[in-house]
Amino acid sequence: MSGEGGALAAALLSMGVLALLSPVLDRRLGRDTGYVLAVGFLVVAAVLAPAASTALDGGAVTFSHAWTDSPEISFTLRMDGLATLFCLLVLGVGALIMAYCPRYLTAGGRHGRTYLLLTLFGGAMLGLVLAGDLLLLFVFWEMTTVASFFLIGTGGARAARPAVRALLVTGMGGLALLVAMVLLGIAAGSTDLATVLRAREEVLDSPLSPAIATLLILAAFTKSAQVPFQFWLPGAMVAITPVSAYLHAATMVKAGIYLLLRFSALYSGQTGWVICLMGVGLFTAVLGAVQALREHDLKAMLAHSTVSQLGLLVAAIGVGTTVALAAAILHTFAHALFKATLFMIIGVIDRQAGSRDIRELSGLMRIMPVTATLAGLAGLSMAGVLPMIGFVSKESLFQGFAGADVFPGAGVVAAALAVTASVLTFAYGMRIFYGAFAGPMLQRQLHEPSWAFIAPAAVAAVAGAVLGPAVSVLDPLMRQAVLNAEPWAVPPYFAFWHGLSPELFLSALTIASGLVLFSARDRVDRMLQRLPRPDGAAAFDRVHSAVLGAGAVVGRPDRSDSTAAYLARPAAALVVLGCVGVFAADGPGIRAGAPSDPVDWGVLALLAMAVAALVRTRSALAAVSLLGAVGLIVALWFLLAGAPDVALTLLLVEVLTAMTAAFVLSDLSTRFPRPRRGAAAAALAGAAGLVAALGTLALTGRRELSPAGAYFLEAAEPETGGRNVVNTILVDFRGLDTLGEASVLAAAALGLLLLLPGQPDGTVGGPRAPYGRVLGPAHRLLLPGIAGLSAYLFLRGHYEPGGGFSAALVAGTAVAFGYLAGRTGPRWLSPRPLLAAGLVLGAAVGLAAMVLGDPFLTPFTIPVPGGGLSSPLLFDAAVYLMVLGLVVTVVDRLGAGRAEHR
Amino acid sequence: MTAAIAVGVLTAGGFFLLLRPGLVRVTFGFVLLGHAANVLLLAAGGPERREPPLIGDGDPAGMADPLPQAFVLTAIVITFGITVYLLGLARAEHLAGSGSRSGTGPEGPAESAEPPR
Repeated sequence: MSGEGGALAAALLSMGVLALLSPVLDRRLGRDTGYVLAVGFLVVAAVLAPAASTALDGGAVTFSHAWTDSPEISFTLRMDGLATLFCLLVLGVGALIMAYCPRYLTAGGRHGRTYLLLTLFGGAMLGLVLAGDLLLLFVFWEMTTVASFFLIGTGGARAARPAVRALLVTGMGGLALLVAMVLLGIAAGSTDLATVLRAREEVLDSPLSPAIATLLILAAFTKSAQVPFQFWLPGAMVAITPVSAYLHAATMVKAGIYLLLRFSALYSGQTGWVICLMGVGLFTAVLGAVQALREHDLKAMLAHSTVSQLGLLVAAIGVGTTVALAAAILHTFAHALFKATLFMIIGVIDRQAGSRDIRELSGLMRIMPVTATLAGLAGLSMAGVLPMIGFVSKESLFQGFAGADVFPGAGVVAAALAVTASVLTFAYGMRIFYGAFAGPMLQRQLHEPSWAFIAPAAVAAVAGAVLGPAVSVLDPLMRQAVLNAEPWAVPPYFAFWHGLSPELFLSALTIASGLVLFSARDRVDRMLQRLPRPDGAAAFDRVHSAVLGAGAVVGRPDRSDSTAAYLARPAAALVVLGCVGVFAADGPGIRAGAPSDPVDWGVLALLAMAVAALVRTRSALAAVSLLGAVGLIVALWFLLAGAPDVALTLLLVEVLTAMTAAFVLSDLSTRFPRPRRGAAAAALAGAAGLVAALGTLALTGRRELSPAGAYFLEAAEPETGGRNVVNTILVDFRGLDTLGEASVLAAAALGLLLLLPGQPDGTVGGPRAPYGRVLGPAHRLLLPGIAGLSAYLFLRGHYEPGGGFSAALVAGTAVAFGYLAGRTGPRWLSPRPLLAAGLVLGAAVGLAAMVLGDPFLTPFTIPVPGGGLSSPLLFDAAVYLMVLGLVVTVVDRLGAGRAEHR
Repeated sequence: MTAAIAVGVLTAGGFFLLLRPGLVRVTFGFVLLGHAANVLLLAAGGPERREPPLIGDGDPAGMADPLPQAFVLTAIVITFGITVYLLGLARAEHLAGSGSRSGTGPEGPAESAEPPR
């Protein structure tokens, strides 16, 4: 990687830094931040200059940094001639716009956000044209879409709908681009842009080729506002003028043009590509020009004009001949110059005269001669009049269109349509100039704006005028860009004067017809106003609300009051999935499953009876008791299966669950409501049960002891000193899982704390317990025993059934009992201290291991007087605290509400 | 075989309660589904080995697989956390004044301001 390659990354990084700096600068400099940013843009351009000169010599500067291994994607930046041209636009026009902002934006306001977004957009656009990897290209493409959305939003509340429209339309194109990039990566076997562009044969032979081309075109058309997506661009004009000039005239809408130019190396000359681009492009060009001619708002005219000019560019790229591509590239450059100038001038007029409507403006030429001159220069360039750069590019476009040969006569048709669009362009150019500057002077108090306000526009306007006669200065850049778009091309040299060529005749025809059209403007106006207006935005809104409506219909069952209505569908889906799984694993045959013990059948019969009773009862009290019974039977099952720890824990959990349910149910109706649609629920539940049983049969009894289980049985005692293998897994081997799980409990406790109100005095438990006289002394009597049992279970956990979970649950029963007895616990026995202490202790034990140089939560021994204290015991204490915290929370919050409701 | 039937019974009961109106019974159904998943997990360890995995207390060859037991232990405690949270939701809904409605929905107090349908 060369130093020049590093410059590409440095340039992108600098844009990011500039963006982040801009809010800070704004706090000190206010609106003048723009001048600093303009200098910043120029510095970035200077950083890129050496790479650009390499690119213009026919080389390409590359920066590459491995990103992901599989799929192999790298962060590759690549600067060739085509990228250089677009970098010049992004940074050059960007610097002008930044220098324009300070006088345009209101004094004293806060503009950090606008500057941040504009600079971020500049960086994203730079990344887009420098991207050397397909996916990177997509990422930057999306960034420009998002930046555009927020920048349109600078227009205030009325910008909401247009911003959303622009986002949805260009976002849809972004999705198309993503799919296109993925397919292209598959077809070409690489995501490296340079490799892909060299693989023309492979891509064109691939069956994916038509799909890729279609998606690329879709992406480009949405971004570059081609029919039928053109409506978002005029809507986006609610944004402030710098945004319109930078994004929606000079750069972002050119991203689609860049994409089409870039992938011309693959698709140029393919019949479908040619016809699609030429047809849509020329239609858009004429439609946009007609729309521009009927507007009264200067900015709206320019917006439609941009749509029209983009159409010409798309069509010229479609023609695909070297001449046409060269013309498209030159016109991209010319358009950026004259359109940015015009937008800036219109912003100036808007600020000075307070209006952009040509029916209200008049005679500004007398009081703003400099502004008028600049507008005239840019307008002449747009209309394609000698000696502007727009004249050269327009002539080249005519030449390119005349050379179209996709079908016999295509050249004539294309040239005729291009001339039509250009005649209309001339006419609306005159309309803009005449509307604003000619006529009697109405606003005498106005004056020429400060030179600082119009200087940026002056730079662009003069450049457009000078570069016409001096167009050969651009030759190295333009020729290299053409070569990058079409590697096999023999690029032409641009000439200011072609002699008495057919194109000159077409130019003359354009100007003459334009003048005729302008002189008959009143009649043309009346005629145009009678034409129906295609309202793409309204059509889009209708489709959009129809889609939202369809979503509402699909989602309606979920907004039901009844949980059953929406739980039924996932339940049914589980049944189907289970069926598929069982058949895929085992075929339809029934396996014997794991061997059973005779005692199991007895337990199973008890379980079936308890479950049957539980689902049938409508008495809340019976339901709580039966749920507890089911839990006890399952605990017995676990005990028989050789899991005493699990059985003990479940037993304690069942006690607390029953207690919690009793708290809740004592206020809820004690009879459950009469069920409806019981048969359907029973059928679904039965099917789920059957599938679950079959699935269990299919999945169990297949193998010996798992290797992991064998390892734990073998390694538990030598490695941890513990004999209770399950406990050593929880606190020694897989402590992180346990920490996560205890954190879930803490989260549930915090949820309850937020959900339910506590006691007004902040104590746990209620003083008005009804059975306090009986339970109070009992609690006093039993408390030491329960506390001792809890401590005993905790301490022996490493060797025998017990441990932090069960010990904390035992302690929790004491707290619950205390509540029922109406006894208030000590202050520290409240949820927050317990949960916090548990979380902090657990994390501290884990981090202490890291301090000692081991991975998180590695067990270690803490030296204390009289032996060593092993860290898993401390960790288990953390678990103990969090579990106890949850139980105390339950008692506090669920119990508290109950006391209030008595 | 017994494990499969136990899972089937618990799942069927759990789903039936899930499809009943009332958040409390939905919670009970959730508890039953938790039991079903735990029985399945433990059965996956191989029900023919039934000695508790306590080193020194029995024949190591017959000891149950400790890993599923650790999973189940964790799962039981998490199920407990979720159960009490669901019961807390039922309580919160009741406090917000919609508890008299037969179909106590999943919405929190915020949505319960609508008149009962």
